[in-house]
Amino acid sequence: MKRRYLIRVVALNIAVWALALVWALPFVGILMISVMPYQEVITKGWLRIPSLDTLTLKNYIEALTNPLYDLATGFRNSVVVATVSTLIPLFAAALAAYAFANLDFRLKPLLFALIIALMMIPQQLIVVPLFFLYRSLGIYDTLQGMILLHSAWGIAWATFFLRNYLKFIPRSLIEAARVDGASDFKIFRRVVMPLAVPGLIAAAVLQFTWVWNDLFYALVFLVSRENQLVTQKVVTLKGEFHVDWGLLAAGSVITMSMPLILYVVFNKYFMKGVAGWGVKR
Amino acid sequence: MRGASIRLVDITKRFRSVVAVDRVNLEVDRGEFIVLLGPSGCGKTTTLRIIAGLETPDEGRVYIGDVDVTDLEPGERDVAMVFQDYAIYPHMTVFDNIAFPLTVKARKLRLTKKDIEERVVRVAKMLGIDHLLDRKATQLSGGQQQRVAVARALVREPKVWLMDEPLSNLDALIRLQVRAELKKLQKDLGITTVYVTHDQTEALSLADRIAVMNKGRVIQLGPPQEIYDDPKHVFVATFVGTPPMNIIECRVGEVVECPGLKRRLPGDRLKGLNKVYLGIRPEYMEVVDEKEGDLEGVVYVVEPLGSERIINVRIDDTLIKVRTTQELTLQPGDRIYLRVNWKKAVFFDPSTEQALGKLLAATS
Repeated sequence: MKRRYLIRVVALNIAVWALALVWALPFVGILMISVMPYQEVITKGWLRIPSLDTLTLKNYIEALTNPLYDLATGFRNSVVVATVSTLIPLFAAALAAYAFANLDFRLKPLLFALIIALMMIPQQLIVVPLFFLYRSLGIYDTLQGMILLHSAWGIAWATFFLRNYLKFIPRSLIEAARVDGASDFKIFRRVVMPLAVPGLIAAAVLQFTWVWNDLFYALVFLVSRENQLVTQKVVTLKGEFHVDWGLLAAGSVITMSMPLILYVVFNKYFMKGVAGWGVKR
Repeated sequence: MRGASIRLVDITKRFRSVVAVDRVNLEVDRGEFIVLLGPSGCGKTTTLRIIAGLETPDEGRVYIGDVDVTDLEPGERDVAMVFQDYAIYPHMTVFDNIAFPLTVKARKLRLTKKDIEERVVRVAKMLGIDHLLDRKATQLSGGQQQRVAVARALVREPKVWLMDEPLSNLDALIRLQVRAELKKLQKDLGITTVYVTHDQTEALSLADRIAVMNKGRVIQLGPPQEIYDDPKHVFVATFVGTPPMNIIECRVGEVVECPGLKRRLPGDRLKGLNKVYLGIRPEYMEVVDEKEGDLEGVVYVVEPLGSERIINVRIDDTLIKVRTTQELTLQPGDRIYLRVNWKKAVFFDPSTEQALGKLLAATS
């Protein structure tokens, strides 16, 4: 009995570590390439501890400051677009999710089904009409237009996600507040939202990452250099005839840094949010 | 006395095809403690929620005081409710939990921060939880949470107090203690209270009047002693009491013929019936000698309960229970003779299960 348990633990550990290694290794590789002189990478290989004498941030400085690539502008644009495109849909979705979870109104099942249907539309399917719509509205090639687009997509799935999360909040808490004379908005603000923090953070991290990683819409809707996002800028680091792997790696690390930091900071909430109602009562 | 009377008129509530509450009429006087008692699914909680305004009745009206509140929001009815799971807000401190009903209405009630603090502290002191005010609600024991819930229901000084099985999540010892405190508090403050439970001991010990419910209807409404001694329906007789009332089927002719009955009971007052149920509570029978006995049976098994014992007696095909404090040495299979306290015996009509009253009291 005890031995079998031991074998299971060991096997599980090996499997998990192997999986983690497969996931982490490419990232480690890119990190190494970005801080080592290119020559050293070629001659000595990348999977080793870099010597402190030759360690360099040249690639990072180059990627961020060289006007040819202009990664810094892209980074700034991405921060603006992703942040606003996270805040707007989350606020709207939280209100909608509260209504779907706690209020009774006509056509509720139908509306909810509509939201799920909206989530299933492939983005590519509507890109052409959107393109013409944006051009005639005059928001083509603007950050506002991009924010609008991502917010619209975000509201649908965030409503779905948050509604399911809010369903975990015991109904008696809401009813107690209602008997005590709280209005729906007060219940939303003082009871439901504080308890939904893990869910909100999980949804925010997912939405932010989604917007940050988007390349498809950015390629279609943002063309001028000063409006492009970081995902579009990274591509310019790769020359037509020559690839500076160090530069490209540094650009990739910069691009990845934002979602990575978010996951590290909010990991605890993220787990709770995805796992559902985690607060012990 | 700050309580208000409650009146339910012909309340019906359906959930799809299920009738949860069926034409319930109920009047609760000012300051009265009324208990809705019944098995799960009998509609007692739904009735309570209709008074609170958390459910809207399909038919009928609800009055609190003289005001028709049927179409009012829960918050506009001046009621407070204690939930089965206490509904303590886990992200708030004890203070904020108790203060919540005041803070959400602070502007309307014209309360300053200081007023709120004073009232919260006063209520907390009354319930002996003033030392916990800074704690997070999640750090409390079950009993403490229950007190916080009661405090929150009291702080607004409501006209009506509604409680949905507030003691069922407490362990047995604390439950007894809190039960007594609740009753004392309710009497001192004079708040009209409607209390829902499936626990008959709780109902009998707390209530001024009990409304026994089954299948969405109030079967009987009356003071605890009346519910216990004078059930108007077989359901009440068998739901209230541990063990419940014994029901013995008898034939009616010239005389009433019950299994094991050695005594002649005149049947002339039961004309028109050919069968009746004889109902007798286990403690209203006594083990006696053969010549004094009314009923004859065979001991099936004896259950000792410390101070008393329950003797299961088989009479023909019927098994009845006798509760006694008599010191007896009985073995299964022994012949046993029981004397019935006829003043306490009740007869029921088998077709309607309604009580026929204590028709035979005079013959004893």
